Amino acid sequence: MTNDENAAGGGTEDKMDVSQYLEIFLDETKEHLQNLNTQILELESNPDNMDTVNEIFRAAHSLKGMAGTMGYKRMQNLTHDMENVFSEVRNGNISVKPEMIDVLFQCLDALEEYNNNIQETADEGTNENEPLIKQLNDILNGKSASAPASAPTETPKAAPATENSDEKWNDIALDDSQIRVIGEAKKQGKNVYGLNVVVQETCILKAARAFLVFKAVEEKGEIIVSAPSAQDVEDEKFDRDFTLIVVSEADLKDVIAAAESVSEIAKVTGALLDVEKTKNYRPVEEDTVASNVEKKAETSVAVEENRQVAAAKTPAKTEKKATPGKPVVNRTVRVDIEKLDVLMNLVSELIIAKNSLVAASNQEQQVNNGNVNEHIEYLESVTTNLHESVMKVRMVPIESVVNKFPRMIRDLSKTLNKKMELYMSGEETELDRTVVDEIGDPLMHLLRNAADHGLESSEERVKRGKPATGSIFLDAYQEGNNVVIEVRDDGNGIDVEAVKNKAIERGAITPEQAATMADKDIINLLFLPSFSTAKKVTDVSGRGVGLDVVRSKIESLSGEVEVKTQLGQGSTWTIRLPLTLAIVQALMVVVGGEKYAISLGSIQTIEDIAPSDIKLVQNKEVIHLRGTVIPLIRMSEVLEIESTKTESDNLVVVIVKKGDKMAGLVVDELIGQQEIVIKSLGKYIKQCKFISGATILGDGEVALILDANALI
Amino acid sequence: MDMQQLMSINELNKAGDERKTFEETVQYIVIRLGDEQYGIDIGYIDNIVRMQNITRVPKVPAYLKGVINLRGEVIPVMSIRLKMDLPADEITRATRVIILKLEQEGNVGIIVDEVKEVVTLGTSQIEKVAHDSTEGKATFISGVGKHNGELISLLDLNSVTLEDNV
Repeated sequence: MTNDENAAGGGTEDKMDVSQYLEIFLDETKEHLQNLNTQILELESNPDNMDTVNEIFRAAHSLKGMAGTMGYKRMQNLTHDMENVFSEVRNGNISVKPEMIDVLFQCLDALEEYNNNIQETADEGTNENEPLIKQLNDILNGKSASAPASAPTETPKAAPATENSDEKWNDIALDDSQIRVIGEAKKQGKNVYGLNVVVQETCILKAARAFLVFKAVEEKGEIIVSAPSAQDVEDEKFDRDFTLIVVSEADLKDVIAAAESVSEIAKVTGALLDVEKTKNYRPVEEDTVASNVEKKAETSVAVEENRQVAAAKTPAKTEKKATPGKPVVNRTVRVDIEKLDVLMNLVSELIIAKNSLVAASNQEQQVNNGNVNEHIEYLESVTTNLHESVMKVRMVPIESVVNKFPRMIRDLSKTLNKKMELYMSGEETELDRTVVDEIGDPLMHLLRNAADHGLESSEERVKRGKPATGSIFLDAYQEGNNVVIEVRDDGNGIDVEAVKNKAIERGAITPEQAATMADKDIINLLFLPSFSTAKKVTDVSGRGVGLDVVRSKIESLSGEVEVKTQLGQGSTWTIRLPLTLAIVQALMVVVGGEKYAISLGSIQTIEDIAPSDIKLVQNKEVIHLRGTVIPLIRMSEVLEIESTKTESDNLVVVIVKKGDKMAGLVVDELIGQQEIVIKSLGKYIKQCKFISGATILGDGEVALILDANALI
Repeated sequence: MDMQQLMSINELNKAGDERKTFEETVQYIVIRLGDEQYGIDIGYIDNIVRMQNITRVPKVPAYLKGVINLRGEVIPVMSIRLKMDLPADEITRATRVIILKLEQEGNVGIIVDEVKEVVTLGTSQIEKVAHDSTEGKATFISGVGKHNGELISLLDLNSVTLEDNV
C-alpha cells in the first residue's frame, strides 16, 4: 500500500503510471486466461452449468477491467464483447453452441497474443481482431436481431443492479460543509452523482482495488464523501461495497466506466444525487452540531453492524466456494527467484559448515566432551529443516503447466479429426520451480505425439474393437526422491518394424545391426535427432523435432525418459525427474583411496558378495541376487584407479536402479550417508559422462558425485 | 590555465622523460616454470593460492589435474607443464595455483613452480612472437618481454587453456 499512498499524495492530474503494475498485470492476465480456458472447456462439456458461466463472466470482466486500467484498449474491447456474450448466456438469452465455444477459444488465443505482445514490448500490438469481434456480435445478434450490436447488454445489467443497491448514497449523512460544497458545485453547473461500488467476492486486496477506484473516479471529478470513510476503505474496513458522492463535469456514464475499469470490481451503480433525499438532509441554517454528531455515530454503528454480519457470512461463503473444485487462492507473496537462489546458496554454505564441524568433532572425539556433539546434532536438525523449508518454497505444483493441456487436446482433436479425451491425475504433485518451468514443452511434445502418432483414427479404432474415442492419460506422482510423470495412450503403440526400417533407410543403423538389436533399443532410436515415423508431415508433428528435444531437455534437468509400448495396445512414456537439484542425500564410498558420492535416490541395497558368487555371462561379471541377475561394474576400472582390495576379499556392492534396470557397483569401502551440496564441475571439464558434479566435504576436500544412471 | 594544471603537466612530462614516451603499460605476474620465466597478464588473474589437495577427475586429458575447493566453489586445475609438454610438476613449498578468470570457461587454476614478482611492461618492451611456428611450445606465447635484462615469455592464456582436441 505504500506505493499507493505515495501516489495519492502526488495528486491526480497526471495519468496514472501503470508500468510498475505491468508484471502483476501479466501474471494476473495469464491466470485469468488459464481460468477461462478451463472453464470454457467445462462449459463445452456441460453447457447448462450456471456456476461455470458465472465464473467465466467474472474472469472476463476482471480481464476487461485490468486491460482498461493498463490502457490496453484493444484487449479491453475484445474482452468487453466476450463479456457481453457471457452476460447474455448468464441471463439465459442465448444458449451455448459449439460454434460459440470455437469463437470463444479463438478469442482467448487472441488475448493471449495481446498478452505476449505486452510481455515483450509493453504494447498490445495493433491487431484489432475485428473478425472475432464481429463474430461475437453475430452471436449476440443471433438471439435478437433488433438489438444494437454495440453493448446491448449494458442496460439490462444496470437496471436490476440499481434496484438491489437501493441507492445507498442516500443513506450517507452529509454534514453542512459537504452540503455546501454540493450546493456550490451545482451552482457552477457541475453534476453531483452518487456511486455505489461493489467489489468482487473473490477479491483479495479489496483496499487496493478500492484505492484504484478512488483514483479512477478522481480523474473524472472530485470525491466529496465516501462511506465508509476513505481512511477506513484504505484500511480495508469495509465489506464488499462502498459509496461515494462525486462532483464532476463528466457524464455519469463516464464516471461509472472509470470505476468499472478497475479489475475485480463486480458492479458500479450510480445516479444523479438529489441532496434532499439524503438521510439527514436539512437546510443548512437549522443544523446543530450535536445532532450531527449523533447522526454520524449512527451511521458508523450501521457500518459496524454491516461488517459484523459480513464477518459472520464470510466463513460460510468460503466453505461453499471450496466445493466446486475451483482452486482456492492461496495467500502468496511473489518473490524474485534470484533471491531464493541466494537463500539456497546460503543454506548450502551452512550445510558445508555443519559438515566441517561434524568432521572436526569426529577427529577429536577423544578430547571433546559430549556437549559439543549435542550442539552439533542440534545444528544438524536446524540445517536440515532450513534446507527443507527453502526447498519447499521453491516447489510449485505442476498444475500450472498441465492446466493448458485439456485445451490443447481439444484443439488437436479438431485439427486431427480424431476423437480423444485427456485424463489427468496428480496435478498437485510438486516440483522445483526451475524444473516446472522447463517441463512444459517436453510434455506437450509427448502429448502431441500421443494424439497424432499414438491414437488411431476413430474408424480404425472401431474396426479394432476399441472405443471410438481415444484416451490419453497424464499421471504425475512422487516416487522416492523422484517425481514421475507418465503420458499414456491406448492407441496403436509403436511399430518396431516400421522404426527399424526407417532407421535403416535413414542410415542410422545397418541392416546387420538391426537384426541383432533388441526391440527396446530400436524404440530408443526414436530419441535420435530428426527421426520421425509419421506417415505424413502434419501441423501437429512429424517435423523431426520432438523426441530428441524431449530427451535432451529432460536430461538437462537430470531426469530420464523411457518408453514402453505394445503394438495395438498403446504406449507409455515415463519421465522421471529428481525432486530437488541442489542438495541431496548421498552415500559416500571409497574407491582406490578416493572418495565418491552416490545419490541415495538411485541406490536399492548394499550387498556383501563373496568372490565365489560372481558368475560370468557373455564374459561379463554378474551376480545372482534374490532371483535377479545383476551385472557388476567394477568402479576401480571405470574410474581408472587401483583398487585397494585383493582378489580374495569380499566385494562391497552397491545395487543401483535406473527404471527397471539394475547394476551392482563394486566399491572398496563405505563411509556412510551424508547430505551433500551439488556443485558443478564447471564448463572446463565436460568429458566425463558418469560424473554428475562435485561436492565439498566437511574437511574442505572435493569429492566427485557418481551418476549411477549414466553407468547402467 | 591555472597553476595546478601546469604543475601536473610538468610532472607528467617528467614521468614521460623517464620512460621516454607515453605508452600503454600492462602489469604481469612473473612465474617460474622450470628454468624459464613466464608472465601472465594480471587482468586475467583472480587469485593465487597455495598448492592443495587436488581431487582427480577420471577420463579427462592428463594435463587436467582435477578440481580443488576454492572457498566453496569447485575449480578445475590444469598442469601448464603437461600442457606444454614439459616434465611433470614437482610440488614444492613454492608451488602455487594461479586462478584465472576466463570469459568462456569460467575460473580455471594453473599450477606454477613459483610466483616471483609483478612487473609493468610497456608496449616497447614487448616483442611479438610470430604465431606461425609449428613447434608446439611457441604457440602458447604471445610475446617476449624484457625487464631488467631478463627475458619473460608472456603466456597466451587462450591457447594455454584451450582444450586439446581428443
